Amino acid sequence: MPASPLDRLARRVERWARKRQGLDALPLVLRSRRLYILPTRAGLVFALLLFVMLVAGLNYTNSLALLLTFTLAGFVLVGMHECQRTLQGLELVQAQAADHDAGTVGTLELRLANAARSARRALSVSTAQQPATRFDIDAGAQLTVYVVCGSRHRGRHRLGRLELASTAPFGLFRCWTWLYLPIDVIVYPQPLGSRALPQASEGRASQQSATNAAGEDEWAGLRAYQLGDSPRSIAWKVWARGAPLMVGQYAGTGGSDHLLSFAGLESLDLEARLSQLSNWVNACARLDAACALRLPGVELPLGRGAEHRAALLRALALYGAAPP
Amino acid sequence: MNEERAGRISSAMAIAALLGTAAMNGHHLAWWCLPLLVLASALHLRLVFRGHALPNRLARVGLAVLLTAGVLLSFRTLNGVAAGATLLAAMTAAKLFEARSIRDWYVICGATLFLLLAACLDRQQIWRLPLYAMCLWLSAAALRGLSGGAALPAATLLRESARQLLFALPLAVVLFLCFPRLPGAFWALPGDDAAITGLGDEMSPGSIARLTESDEPALRARFAAALPPVKERYWRGPVLRNFDGFTWRRQRPEAAATQALAYVGTAYRYTLTLEPNSHGTIVALEMARPADAPLALFTDDFQLVSRRPLTQIQTYQLSAYPQARAAAALTESARRLDLALPAERNPRARQLAQQLRVASIDDSAFIARVLEFLRRGGFEYTLTPQRLQRDSIDDLLFNTRQGFCGHYASAFVDLMRAGGVPARVVTGYQGGEWNPIGGYLTVRQSDAHAWAEVWLPGQGWLRADPTAVVAPERLSGELLQFGYGLGRRGAGGLGSGKWLTAVLQTWDALNAWWQDDVVGFNFSKQLKLADWLAFGDRDWQTLAVALGAGMTAWLLWVAWSLRRIASAARPDALARAWRRIDKHLARTAVPRAPNEGVIAFSERLALTHPAAAAAMTPLARRYAQLRFGPPGDPGALRDFVRAARQFCRRKS
Repeated sequence: MPASPLDRLARRVERWARKRQGLDALPLVLRSRRLYILPTRAGLVFALLLFVMLVAGLNYTNSLALLLTFTLAGFVLVGMHECQRTLQGLELVQAQAADHDAGTVGTLELRLANAARSARRALSVSTAQQPATRFDIDAGAQLTVYVVCGSRHRGRHRLGRLELASTAPFGLFRCWTWLYLPIDVIVYPQPLGSRALPQASEGRASQQSATNAAGEDEWAGLRAYQLGDSPRSIAWKVWARGAPLMVGQYAGTGGSDHLLSFAGLESLDLEARLSQLSNWVNACARLDAACALRLPGVELPLGRGAEHRAALLRALALYGAAPP
Repeated sequence: MNEERAGRISSAMAIAALLGTAAMNGHHLAWWCLPLLVLASALHLRLVFRGHALPNRLARVGLAVLLTAGVLLSFRTLNGVAAGATLLAAMTAAKLFEARSIRDWYVICGATLFLLLAACLDRQQIWRLPLYAMCLWLSAAALRGLSGGAALPAATLLRESARQLLFALPLAVVLFLCFPRLPGAFWALPGDDAAITGLGDEMSPGSIARLTESDEPALRARFAAALPPVKERYWRGPVLRNFDGFTWRRQRPEAAATQALAYVGTAYRYTLTLEPNSHGTIVALEMARPADAPLALFTDDFQLVSRRPLTQIQTYQLSAYPQARAAAALTESARRLDLALPAERNPRARQLAQQLRVASIDDSAFIARVLEFLRRGGFEYTLTPQRLQRDSIDDLLFNTRQGFCGHYASAFVDLMRAGGVPARVVTGYQGGEWNPIGGYLTVRQSDAHAWAEVWLPGQGWLRADPTAVVAPERLSGELLQFGYGLGRRGAGGLGSGKWLTAVLQTWDALNAWWQDDVVGFNFSKQLKLADWLAFGDRDWQTLAVALGAGMTAWLLWVAWSLRRIASAARPDALARAWRRIDKHLARTAVPRAPNEGVIAFSERLALTHPAAAAAMTPLARRYAQLRFGPPGDPGALRDFVRAARQFCRRKS
């Protein structure tokens, strides 16, 4: 389908803005140079209304009608300035995105600070794929905004263009800025596949089954939540009592060692293999079993815990990709 | 993007603005329009605030059709300001039944602003200005509630919209003065037959009583030099020549004057500001010159009749010649018109006129005898006379013997015509109140008057004012200074204090300024402004430059003012005190990292500059206590600021 002229124009403008602004470094204070403003559809209709009022006032040489029209024109122009001021000086303190599985949603966390003595209202942030998230920031306050981001394909994804906009004070103008943040999101292969977890390596496995026939892990305690922890492992009951987010930990006494090998899955294609491996890694993490990963050209030693899991999934996500 | 729902507060505000604006249009909307709006608003608030569903689409379309039919029934047209405003208000009422989304409320706010425009087009009195401003303010506040952000409290919306409107005012003034105006309308809607009080096309004795109740100004005159003497202040309105025995009617002016006037004697040059009237006559001081108002028709009974309805305030530059005289003899058709009396009406008056006529040697003597009869006949001047019978002149002269100017002018002209002297009734205003604050003469509807004109061969038309002989005090200068209707305020009202006169005159001067310089600011006044700006060297470029400069200055001012609002808050005393410590340490030891807390900084400092850290650590603890601890007494803050100063003075 050929792109419409409007789409082509939008793409040209995007390229121009990208070239003009470059990559953004944090913390970032929004300056007027990078703020764009246009009337909204309501604003255009309002302009038409003002024009009709002007014509009526001029035609009837009616001073009061003209005074009303001119006051409204000033009102609109002041609003235009206010709209731009809503974004100008806003500070993006921090931005981070969590790694996540393909096909699920990840979140981008934006920390915004308003140092001004008036609130910034009717703000929104959106990505090319995601509709706007709306928020206001009070005077002198900071706010964390979560933007959904995600991909269906594994790998390293550079965060796309973010649009931070405002329609304050009356929705007749929309001021926006484009953010190009140097943030990469790693998308893990989607955990799929029905193959059974490879048998634990000899020796330890038999010992383990003898000592812990039930195969259940022992409760070891809580640790603080970290980005990337599975929601399933969060101790919600503890959180409901007012404590910060904690993650239940299970002692690895019942754990066994698994060698997750790419080589054992010949009958599947590449993505299905990686998905199966990913599924296994997650299974091991759930069981808190130690596991090692062997990919062609990549070998990761035995280990357990969230960091190890992340390292394995990351290796799977980036498998076959050019190094960054 | 506007599909989301509007907040309740902004909806309520928009409804308030709509109702207020509709009330401002109350005088020309159809009678059912305001109740409909109130009903629709009440229903909307009830349904939406209680979370009920609004009527379905079919019902709404049906309602719209019904309302359009209603407007057509009321006005027989959809054209014109009144019908248009009614249609708009009715459709907005219908819109209220489906208003949910932000877009709906934009439509309602837009309609409200249009209704406000209709009110401005129709009525421009100064007392309406604050009410219009109020409606504008509410609309602006409602618009601010539609930004799409979190719902704001009403007080915030009102405060911020007031700020926004106040910022807008200077631009409005600049544009008002410098935006190019048009010399005249290029397209006109049919005028509405608004009932404008004032003189009429006809007079039955009794109709002028209505006028005297009104203090509305009829005209204002600003004289270039001396004022005409009080006895010459006759402002000529419609001339009534057709009499049916009870009612005087106007001869519709069809042709231009056939009878010329000789303009002799003193001339008074003045600027006339005429309020709208329904009879179309430019009420000018006797006698006007046709050359001064080339666009008007100068009739052969010496009226200046405007060719366009006088629905707006108009300004004319005129000259008056009180001693102007007819330059030619009366034409036969005019003589016939000014001698005509209905047969078989007022027989006793006819008999009286013939008796007096026989006793007089000529026309002047006859006039004198008739006036003498009116003076001696025991006639009473009153604004509330008895009603007259069908033969009104007979009833007045021989029965009731009371009346006001209209009665006596009518009786006098009847007697003149019965005695063979061509005569006619002239209506208009007499007198005028000098406004020392504004430096002009105000003539009010309560100054409405009727007098007579008689034709004397060789002398032409002469003014005869029978009221002056019946009630000389009615026209005396002393009373005319007050200017207000006799009998109502003449004795008690204004006698009670000069301050009231002063207040009324100030109000009138304010009105005059408003009418002349604001409402009446038009193409020619703008030319004058350009003249003044260019020091007499008229040039439209001057106005363009003034417009550009004014707008630029305004934009800079707004940008600067709003920058202050949106800029970072000034750090508080505590932060300022700590900043001093930071600066001192940056100079003498190491700077604090931007993201480093004061306690962390003191710990870092202890590793490299133990001496400075020893002095600084207790301050850091106090800072943390003041910043993050429970609010303490203000003395603690003062002590800290003092300690910070001392710290900075210490030798490093």
